Formats: sequence, structure tokens, C-alpha cells
Amino acid sequence: MKYSKFLALGAAAALAVGLAACAPSAPEPGESSGSTGPSDETISIGTTTDVVNFNPVLGNSRTDSWITNLMYPHLLSISDDGTKEAHVATDWGYVDDTTGFYEIRDDLTWSDGEPLTAEDVAWTLNAVKRDQAPGTFYGQLGNLDTATAVSETRVELALTQPDSSIVEEIGFWGVVVPKHVFEPQGSIAEFANDGSAGGWVGMGPFIMSDFQVGQHYTLKRVEDYPLVKGGVPGHAEVVYRVYPDVNTEILALQSGEIDVIANALPPAQVEQLSSTDGLQVVEAPGLGYAHLVYNMDKPDLAKTEVRQALAHAVDYDAIRTVVLQGQAVSTGSSALMPVLAKYYDKSVKEYEFDPEKSRSLMEKAGYTADANGNFPVSFRLIYSLQDSVTSQWAQMVKDSAAEAGITIELQGTERNTYLSMTSEGDYDIYAGNFAIMDDPVTNFSLSYLPGGAINYTHVDDADLNALIEEGMVTFDEDEKISIMREANKIVHEQVYDNIMYTQNLFFAASDEWAGFISKPSELLSIVNPLSLASAHPVE
Amino acid sequence: MSRASFILRRVGRGLLTIWFAVTVTFLLLRLLPGDPALASPNMTDDIRATILEQYGLDQPLIVQYGLYMWQLLQGNLGISFTQSIPVTDVLMQRLPWTLLLTITALVLTILIGVPLGVAAASHKGRFIDRAVQVVGVTGQSLFVPSVAILLLFVFGLNLGWFPIGGAYTNNTYGFEWYLSVAQHLVLPAVSLMLIQVGSYVLTMRSTLIETLGEDYILLAKANGIRGSRILWKHALRNALLPTTTLIGLQLGFLVGGAVLTETVFAYPGIGRGIYEAVTQLDFPVLQGAFLMLAITVVVANTITDIIYGYLDPRVKTS
Repeated sequence: MKYSKFLALGAAAALAVGLAACAPSAPEPGESSGSTGPSDETISIGTTTDVVNFNPVLGNSRTDSWITNLMYPHLLSISDDGTKEAHVATDWGYVDDTTGFYEIRDDLTWSDGEPLTAEDVAWTLNAVKRDQAPGTFYGQLGNLDTATAVSETRVELALTQPDSSIVEEIGFWGVVVPKHVFEPQGSIAEFANDGSAGGWVGMGPFIMSDFQVGQHYTLKRVEDYPLVKGGVPGHAEVVYRVYPDVNTEILALQSGEIDVIANALPPAQVEQLSSTDGLQVVEAPGLGYAHLVYNMDKPDLAKTEVRQALAHAVDYDAIRTVVLQGQAVSTGSSALMPVLAKYYDKSVKEYEFDPEKSRSLMEKAGYTADANGNFPVSFRLIYSLQDSVTSQWAQMVKDSAAEAGITIELQGTERNTYLSMTSEGDYDIYAGNFAIMDDPVTNFSLSYLPGGAINYTHVDDADLNALIEEGMVTFDEDEKISIMREANKIVHEQVYDNIMYTQNLFFAASDEWAGFISKPSELLSIVNPLSLASAHPVE
Repeated sequence: MSRASFILRRVGRGLLTIWFAVTVTFLLLRLLPGDPALASPNMTDDIRATILEQYGLDQPLIVQYGLYMWQLLQGNLGISFTQSIPVTDVLMQRLPWTLLLTITALVLTILIGVPLGVAAASHKGRFIDRAVQVVGVTGQSLFVPSVAILLLFVFGLNLGWFPIGGAYTNNTYGFEWYLSVAQHLVLPAVSLMLIQVGSYVLTMRSTLIETLGEDYILLAKANGIRGSRILWKHALRNALLPTTTLIGLQLGFLVGGAVLTETVFAYPGIGRGIYEAVTQLDFPVLQGAFLMLAITVVVANTITDIIYGYLDPRVKTS
């Protein structure tokens, strides 16, 4: 018994020592920011995920982009009507069909004092292309041969073939990194850029100073940021805090623990938070769309009348009113959305919800309804269960199709399975969302050309292909708009894609902060670098 | 059976259980639908193939398994698909927080559950007993996220007594940091405690009632020993044996509960790491986390078995 007590005491002591060794340890105080800017306040922002990658050419998640965008500049930004606007680049365009160019500002410096020059831009583009850094940026470089800095402020792009979209798309999606920091690290695709190689060097309103995975990402103000009015960001520090659960994130905002929620609010929360004291809700136009795609590899869906019947069997208004709570706009069943003001074509009208018309189209396609009014076909519709909005309207699509005698079986799965099924064409109908469809030519080539990465309908239409290819090599804007409208009419008439709505996005923030500059899409919204550099505490 | 042989058998069984858990986890993850190399629908086939090759996912299953076990024997848990850093680093960043949370919850559960069970048993059939039983049964049916959000709403948002999320407040150092850690720990630990305490209350109550009906207790009563002395000195020690087993068994549930608790409370532990790794199909992190959990549960159960063997020598001969 005596030994048992010693044993127990020993075990307890060992456990205590073991636990003490594993216990979380207190951080050491860091250096003071020593800022001299307008305010010493910290703005705290909630996000639902951690940073996966600090290397801005690789980052795929929204949190990655929000944080690295504060440190690494893009050449171009975007306005509310979808047109690209100047940022680091002051002028851009084409010298000839196979040569593009950017003129960049001459007053920018990296946070270590080195100037940001055309050489940084050219090196970044060539390195991403050479090392095939996986990500959206690399995806835009298909027709780039090489980039060359022809002066301190001018970069020229040699293209492998004429491409009328590539200059704006690279400018919008691509970032610029400091050559003198990234080049010595070897492959740009393998550089973690997590601060372990001597910290971060960037050119943005803020620079990472400290982070704790799962907890926070803290960025300090850069005192010289010429892209914001006044040249200095309006507050000393940005802290991103991670709340994986959206409900907790909203409670954190209401309690004052954070000042902004970076993610767009779920539609059901917008009205409630709009009327909550101490909060403001800011709207940003959506740049993407929700859609239904009918897999033409399936014999039934290869018939135009069947696709048209399905398109007329969806109650679009009800979906936008009930599920989106009025926070979505009709695109007129058009891939050229109203937000892309120059391209939008009012003459293309939304598919009318008309079950009787669906029935007659199904009969025209050769199907006969049974005694219960149901046609002898059934379609499997896939969607991601993580997408709560689509999960809700998928049920409404099934119900309204049933009114037209068309059976739809729903197959909601977790996101990775859904992506895998999408990639393999394992569906009859695909329901989903694209977040940013900013350039019509690029989007049409990806969505509707044979072999396009997101050609989920598996369409190969000679007339449509010819128009898209013509759009790709047409540099005159008016002519290009006219070509893309023609292409859009084919997509609409043949129901190669059933675009249902563009969701307007709403972002919640404390009303103790002002000065946000909202930009389209969830990727930019009120947490874009210009907005966070301009935000300031209310006096 | 000798004491050494008893311990060796228990440890051997524990190792076998860990190997089984590791193998099942490996197979289950590979049988899951979905493709870990499909980070984005826009990813080209070339890049996808490179990722598959880089992580050995293009190899036959048996080769992947052999490679994995060989690496495991060398203490190498692999590299995270998404973070590109060793899984050991990913887990070691999170382990301290999960240990802190689960051990605090366990201590709270024992400190509250055992006395409540004793109170119910010693007042069998009376109001206290019925009230405690209601608490016990209700506790067993609680769902972690609902409890967590309710606690956050009342004590975090409305009363403002505790922070909403995270493990500590930024820019706090020294004593202030420890205070902040303690403050952030309260709601998640209470939440975990609430879903566990019912089992302890009901187990303690039923075993104590059973023990109080044993012949030796009746004999002690007949000998005129005071009721409180019988309860605390004679009955409680024996009634605690099943509760000791329960601690070992419940540890697995406690860790499972931590996945949801850590997610709702934005607590940066392994449970939340598992949630994030599942959404990203990060196989190496999932395998590493499950291995760590399996080891935790098996070690806890083995220690419980051995302690039980000391407390009740009949176990060693069974």
C-alpha cells in the first residue's frame, strides 16, 4: 500500500511535469510598431479559415488572398461596373496582336526600401510561368511567352498567340513580388514565404509582423503607401482572427471582439444585422453567378428541347425572393451579367417559369407523360452541402420541375466529393456558383470551348467556338462586345448554361469604423487593401 | 498471472490496437470519395498529376501503405498537403491547447459529477436524487454546438463575462497572458464538462447504491458505524472503481467532443485541426491527428487497466 502511494505520487508528478512541458507558453513582447500615422487603433477582422499559404502566387483560399493582398500589390484593380482600373499599373494595353504592355508607377518602394520596378513585375511573371506555380495566377499565363522589363517602369509581354484579354487578366489576378527576396529562394512554387527566411518584404499598406496558426494574423502599418489618400494607412494594425463557425463569428462582431467580418453574410443574417445597434452592413456587387449546367454527354440532355424544358421548369423569382431574400439580381439568364455594364445585353430575357411550356417542350423532344403526368426521365442534380444557399434552392428546383412532370433526384455531397464528381462529369445536372467571372472572353473560353476547364455542360458548338475564338483576337472593344453578345445569344438559346442570378454581397462591420471602400466580389469587398488603408475610427 | 506479465499483456494489446487504428484510418481516408489533389475546379490536369506524384498518391494502395508504415516507424508523419510543413509541426502547435482544454474539462467533470452522484445515491428516492437524475439524463442528451452557442450567447455576448473565441487576447504578455488564457478556457471547458457530467453522475449513483446494499455495508451498519463514515470510508472507495474505468473510456468521447467544441469556440487545438483537415482532405494531417488520438485513448485505457489491476486484484486473474 505504501508503495502504491509512492507510485501514485510519482505518476502524478510525472503527469504534471509532462503537462507543464506541453502547456501553452506565453509569448514575448514584440517590438513596438513605432507608427506615426493618423491613428494607433487596431482593426480586428474575422475570417473562418487559417492562412494556408503566405506565398501570394500560390494562395488559393480567400483568407490567403485577403492577407497577402495587404502585402503584395496587383497591377490592376476593378471598378463597380466590372472594368479594370489602375493600381500599380498606370497604363496598359497592346503594342500589337502578340505584344502587351504595362506602364507602372515610379514612386513605389518595397518595405525594405528597395524600389519596386518593372524588373520585379517581369521576374514575377516569368518565374510563375517557369515554375508552374499552381494557382489561379498561373492559369492566366497560358498565352504568355516571356515578360521583359524594357525600362524601369515599362514591362512588355511577348505572347504565343493573339489574346485580347490576357493583359487585363494578368493585371487583375496576378501579384508582384520582390525579385531580390524571392529569386534567391529558388523555385517560386516552393517558397513558403512564412517569415522563417528573415520576415516579410512587401509593398502594401500593411506588412505581416506576427501570427499564431488558429489564432491571429497581425499586420503592422507601412508608413509610406502612396496608393492611399494621404500616403499613410488610417490605423496602426490589422489583425485577422479565425472563427471557423460563422455563428461564433457574428457573436464576436456583436460583442465588439472584432470590427469586421471578412466573409459575405449569409442572406438570412443580412436584415437582422442591418438593424442591430452598433453595426453597419455594407453592400458590394457580386461578380459571379449561380447556375445550373446540363451535362450534354447524357443522351436525354443532349436534346436542346429537354434543356429548354428544364430551364422553363425553374421558378427563378421564388428562389431569389425566398432563398436569397431579395439579395440577388437576375442576369436575364445571361452569362453577360448586368454588373459587366458594357457587355450586358438587355434584349436577352430570363427563361420564363412555365411548367406547361416545359411539358410541351418535353413532348416535342419525344417523351410522353404517364397517367400521373410524369415523363419517363429522371435527372441527378449534384450540389455541395457546404453551400447552404444552393442546398436550399436545389430543393426548389426539384419541386418546380416536378410540376412540369420532370423528376430530379438531388445528390448533395461534401465539397471535395462534389468537386471530384464535377471533374469526372459524374452528374446529369450541376448546381453551383462561380465567385468571379470578370472577363467575358476568358470566361466563355473556359466555360464553353471544348476542353475548357469549367466546360461542365461538355458543349462543342462550332458557331459558338468560332465566335469565342474571334473574341479572343479582337482588340477593338466595341467589336469585341458585339461578338461576345452574339456568343451569349447562342448560349442562351441552346441553354448551354442556365445562369440564375448574381448574388449581391453584404459585409458587416462595427459602426465605430468608417472610410471603407467597397469593391465588387467577396475577394475584394471591404477588406481590399485600399479599403483597409482608408478605414479609420469614427471620431 | 504475475504483475509484470499482466502489464506486458495490456501494453501489447494497446500497441495492437494502435496499429489497427492506424491501418483502418489509412484505408478509410483512401476509400473516401473526393480527391485531395483537387484543390480547385480550375486546376489543370498537369498540376493535379504533379501533386499526386509529389505525395505518392499515384502509387498502388499497398505501396502507399508500406511507405506510410515505414515513415511512421521512423517517427515521420509526413508533410501536410495544404500547409507544406511537417505534420508533427502542425500537431505540436495544437496539442498543448487540446491538452489544456480536455484535462480541465475532465477535472471539472470529476469534481462535479462524482459528488452529485454521491448526493443522489445517499438520498435515494428523495428530491435531491430525482433532481440529480434529471440533470444526469439531460446532460447525456446535450449536443455540443447547441450548448456552446447558448453559453456564448448568454455569458459571452449578453453578460460579457467571457470572450467569444480564441485561446487568448493578442498583445498580452506574462501574467496577463495566463489570465487571458484562463478566461478563454472557461466556456469551452464548461461546455465539454456539461456533455460529459451526466455519465459520471449516473454511473456514480448506480454503483454507490449497489455498493450500499452489499453485505459488508449492512454489517457495518449493524455494528453501529455512522452513516457518513460508511458512505465515505467504506462504500465510496469501492463505488469509485467503475468511475475510474469510465474516465479511461470517456477520454475518447472527450477528445471527440473537442472537435466540435474547438470549432465553435475558435479554440486552436487538434480537434479544430481535424475539422479543417477534413474539409481540405489533408490526409497526412488527418492520419497524424487520428494516430495521436488513438495513442491518447489507448494509453489512457492501458493506464486505467493497470491502475484497476492494482485497485481490484481480481482483474489480473480475469
